[in-house]
Amino acid sequence: MPAILEVDNLVKKFGEFEAVKGVSFQVEEGEVFGLLGPNGAGKTTTISMLTGILAPTAGTARIGGYDVRTQMAQAKTLNGLVPQDLALYPTLSARANLEFFGRVYGLKGRDLKERVADVLRVVSLTERADQAIETFSGGMKRRVNIAAGLVHQPRLLFLDEPTVGVDPQSRNHIFESVLRLNRERGMSIIYTSHYMEEVELLCSRAAIIDEGRIIALDTIKNLIAMLGGGVIHVGVERADPTTRDAIAALPMVKEAVLLAPSVAAPPAPGAEADLHERAPLATGSVIKIVTEHSQQAVVSVIGYLNTHDIMLTSLEILEPNLESVFLHLTGKKLRD
Amino acid sequence: MNVLHIAVKDLGILFRDRGVFIQLLGLPLIFILVFSGAMQAAVGGQQDTRMPLPVVDQDRGPGARALREGIESAGGVRIDLIDQAVADEALDKGTMARALYIPANFSDDVAAGRQATLHLVSRPDADIPRTEALRLVIEGVARDMALEGQIVTSLRQMGEMMANVPDAFAALAVEQGPAQAREQFELSRNRPLVSLVTRVPQRAVTVEEEATAAQLAVPGFTVLFVFLTSQATARSIYDEKKVGSFRRLLASPISKVELLVGKMLPNVVASLIQVVVIFGFGVLVLPLLGQAPLSLGNAPLAVVLVAVLMALCSSGLGMLIAALARTENQIGGLSGVILWAMGILGGSFIPVFFLERFLGPVMRLVPHYWANSAFTDLLVRGASLADVVPQMVALLVFTAAFFTVGLWRFDFD
Repeated sequence: MPAILEVDNLVKKFGEFEAVKGVSFQVEEGEVFGLLGPNGAGKTTTISMLTGILAPTAGTARIGGYDVRTQMAQAKTLNGLVPQDLALYPTLSARANLEFFGRVYGLKGRDLKERVADVLRVVSLTERADQAIETFSGGMKRRVNIAAGLVHQPRLLFLDEPTVGVDPQSRNHIFESVLRLNRERGMSIIYTSHYMEEVELLCSRAAIIDEGRIIALDTIKNLIAMLGGGVIHVGVERADPTTRDAIAALPMVKEAVLLAPSVAAPPAPGAEADLHERAPLATGSVIKIVTEHSQQAVVSVIGYLNTHDIMLTSLEILEPNLESVFLHLTGKKLRD
Repeated sequence: MNVLHIAVKDLGILFRDRGVFIQLLGLPLIFILVFSGAMQAAVGGQQDTRMPLPVVDQDRGPGARALREGIESAGGVRIDLIDQAVADEALDKGTMARALYIPANFSDDVAAGRQATLHLVSRPDADIPRTEALRLVIEGVARDMALEGQIVTSLRQMGEMMANVPDAFAALAVEQGPAQAREQFELSRNRPLVSLVTRVPQRAVTVEEEATAAQLAVPGFTVLFVFLTSQATARSIYDEKKVGSFRRLLASPISKVELLVGKMLPNVVASLIQVVVIFGFGVLVLPLLGQAPLSLGNAPLAVVLVAVLMALCSSGLGMLIAALARTENQIGGLSGVILWAMGILGGSFIPVFFLERFLGPVMRLVPHYWANSAFTDLLVRGASLADVVPQMVALLVFTAAFFTVGLWRFDFD
């Protein structure tokens, strides 16, 4: 598949602050691509550069072959943006909002009316089309917000946190709409979220972004496979590098990392933390163990601790998902 | 084309907001009604429609008093007594169109049948028919006074002659009496009592002091509220940024200039609607309410051009406010206070020709002054399009400055 979007070492600085620190990725035609990261990671800034809202400080990107630095006018005709905010005019009706955004993209007459009717069907709001947006529920407003990004039939749609503040029913409706657009119309979609379940559900590939950098980029399956059979956090009374190495050598254990001790528990003498990540549950030292099979690894780890008379203080099994991948990569939770 | 789409959308939003209607049209009409009504009440409940005639009475004698009373009783003219220094300065500055000077010893001269010259000083740029009408009234009254004086003098002289001559010459004296009277009347014709003097102007335009309350209130408050409309532009841009639609528009195929011009255009339209409604109210509705109607002057095209320039200037100011304001309060509160202050400074509450005497050139720093000055010249003084070119250029300069600085300081991020 050809790439609809090629991002090459994109940088954005606001004064001294570097919000995006050289991100690179590609999105294929017809792909739903996820940008996963916590708030403030640089997702919206990246999208703003790709849609012409912000000029990149360095690097470039091509949309449908058009360079966003030199051919943004052409690139804009291929893009659709659904911003994080409800970018609508509350006192106007849903139809008036959609017609306005359609006109801005050059649609007019019958074509405009048909396109508006079509996107109203896509978001299931035909019945309420002539009511003012201010009378809509939060979920309905979100759906009109999406429709406004679709009215000109973009080849590449940027959905920036489209489910923030949405009730579960409307969220499901948005998911269905996104999948239908991709399946039935072949629309390429970049979906940013800090909800890992959404990215797992909707996207075939994703980039995990943190502090302005892409720290992982792969298919969802491969990203989750980074954690093998899952991750367990084992809290012990005391731990040192020798214990860590011994656990790493146990069956079904891929990797063992000594986490920085929690505030309440000073590190064991001679023990040095492998990561700055704080132990999430422990009162003493915590060893993070990446397993090939979490339940079998738990059995062998507990056996080792008993044999060596090391007291177990806590045990947490993290299912393999994007949340635990992010935690594994950054030492932070996505919603921190 | 995108400019029009944005403008039409914004007008749709604007006209759905009842609060905007109150600010655009309700408040100015209420201000005009109260202000012009109060002004009218202050001068006695009924508008004094007589032509004012400032008079410098250097004589203060019975002859001068008789002349003043004669002029006023002739009807249509109101005498305003003023000091010579005030009159001289006002005529020089062009803040007064004309004045009548009654010389010292006027009463004695008239009583003695000697020539006494009245000076009706009129600036050449004063309204000629008005000056001519006043001249005729003054000449008529003065001629009557002169005739009366000549008759009295002739009769007195005849009496003196008859009393002093011997009886043998009485018949000769009776023959000389009518000849003496004829000589006096001839003298009166050849040496007229009133002469008209014209001064060289130092300013191009003269204030017509007989402006009605409507002519002062309607343009002043129109200017004030048209510039207050600039808040609507600023608020519209702020709201668009706040809800995020500004980002969406920036991501669409619209240039930044198109976007800003599109945001400014509704303000221009709204301002022009304001002018039409408020001026229409002044022309058509005020007379129905017992107040003097608004006169649109002699150059309607100039009135339209000034209104358009003022609307553009207000929109440019709105963009500047949007560029500089960082919070909603700065747009709604702070800028409101500044706009009202500019209105006061610029002559929206007190006519520019009065305020200028107190504030001088400071007034010229605000665009309101130039708009008020142009409307005063056009509506009150009956100026032509050419007369208000300086004010129009000033408004254009303000517009360009507001737009340029606004664009430079605008935060598109």
